[in-house]
Amino acid sequence: MTETALASVDLRKVYHSRGAPAVEALRGVTMEVRRGERVALLGRNGAGKTTFLKIASTLLKPTSGSVALFGIDVVAQPDRARPYIAVVPQEGKPFFHLCPREQVYTYLRARGLSRETAQSRTAESLERMGLTEVADRLSITLSGGQRQRTMVATVIATEAPLLFLDEPTIGMDPFARRDVWASLRALTQKGSTILLTTHYLDEAEVLSDRLYIVEHGSVLVSGTAEELKRSVGGTLKVTLANGASQVDRFRSFGECVTDGANLTVVVLPHRLGELMELAVRSQLTATVGPVTLEEAFLRAVGRSIDEE
Amino acid sequence: MRSEPALRAFRGTTAFLWTEVLVQKNERLAMVTAMLVQSVILVFVYILNPGLLGVAFVGAILFSTFAMGQRVLNEAAYLRIDHKSIDFYLAGPLAPEAYFLGMSLGILVVYIPPVIVVGVLATLIVPLTLATGLLLLGLAAVLWVFSSSLGYVFSTFFRDNRAIWAYSSLFFNVFGVLVPVFYPLGLFPEALRPIVLLMPPSAAAALVQAAIGVTSLTGPQVALALGGLAVETVAIFLFAIYWARRTVRGV
Repeated sequence: MTETALASVDLRKVYHSRGAPAVEALRGVTMEVRRGERVALLGRNGAGKTTFLKIASTLLKPTSGSVALFGIDVVAQPDRARPYIAVVPQEGKPFFHLCPREQVYTYLRARGLSRETAQSRTAESLERMGLTEVADRLSITLSGGQRQRTMVATVIATEAPLLFLDEPTIGMDPFARRDVWASLRALTQKGSTILLTTHYLDEAEVLSDRLYIVEHGSVLVSGTAEELKRSVGGTLKVTLANGASQVDRFRSFGECVTDGANLTVVVLPHRLGELMELAVRSQLTATVGPVTLEEAFLRAVGRSIDEE
Repeated sequence: MRSEPALRAFRGTTAFLWTEVLVQKNERLAMVTAMLVQSVILVFVYILNPGLLGVAFVGAILFSTFAMGQRVLNEAAYLRIDHKSIDFYLAGPLAPEAYFLGMSLGILVVYIPPVIVVGVLATLIVPLTLATGLLLLGLAAVLWVFSSSLGYVFSTFFRDNRAIWAYSSLFFNVFGVLVPVFYPLGLFPEALRPIVLLMPPSAAAALVQAAIGVTSLTGPQVALALGGLAVETVAIFLFAIYWARRTVRGV
């Protein structure tokens, strides 16, 4: 098995539908994920994350370009690639008339695992995801978050070499999200590789070794969360409520990003006092905080991740 | 996978069959409603013309295995659309052929007990010999293969469950109830008989009716019914196997 878990080169996807203009969902995506890495695709809704994941997980043919998983071309040889992967699809649901224990166990059996392995992995995975108490209740009686945890537990239990997780923690409470993060970390320590999509900035920052920011079907920037934050040009951010109209007065302090009526200025600590004085003179309310991935995203994309 | 022995493509069938059995066993009401149409027709026939009850029982058995295709259609479409089961199960080592066959067999296992009950009742009413009994059994199995394959293929064309319920009911009731399945072929307009002999449910019913002496078929009519049934069933089954793999990446 090669050290590269996933490599895509100039991947393009155009959707054609009758009576509607063609939609270019991917515009030449090139990326690489190394074995054992956790990599996040970060982007707004419709950025192309799911399309990329579907192509890479053998569920969709690209218009052009290539994707290889562990050196296997997924376009030409999807059957060879499939045993290496497992997928939590976006909006996927467990069978409503199975309980989590049955869901995980039968899924593992369908993947060819032995009874003993399937049983032990089922118990372990359900416990990790905090589902032991509801393990024997039908999924139809579980909350949305518990169902999503069941999906993640099922896929985690496969210990597949490469896991694709499309918005894996959507609908989960903060505690459950942390359980998922811990489980995914443990899984990569065992040697699995994870590619996930998310539009939760904290999840991308906490969980991923590297991330790709995607917009309009293209990768805009990539790197570690720290690298991306450093690229913003400062360590502090000052948010000025209703300051967007006065952006020109603050440009000399550093990177300025407008988000609606608000203005965010990225500044180095030694210039903070000066900036605050100007904010007071300009009668603007200022909030100071550390630079986060949100600023890196705003800088790269020009819009907030939640903006439609 | 294609270069590997063909049987390997069916690995995982038993596991997925068992999954489907577990899913279906928790929907007991569905099992009861699966016999609703047949039961209502049997009651009507008993009241209106008890002399046709034997033919109606034969029709009920054949219709029951034919209607399993409707279950496959509904289940396959529902799981694909609502649960993203294709993405979940087939982006992995489970072969698409095993997914299709496992689902179909699972539905068969769960829905066959009430059919057996109808079959036992039929032996009390219909003068079945070993040969005609085996013919009925074989044709019921052929109809199951035909309709399950057709149901799976149809399921891949829908994007909305609401449309499926309407179309699948329409299809399975028109081809399983309107045509001479529950009543003798002789009551159907003669000019249209070649057409219904090409439709698997009515072809199978006509063959059993002829075997138990309710309907008389000419040699060419037997050939048409038997040949049509065989060709159509083999063709749709092979196509479903191909289509199951073809549609992993969407229609």
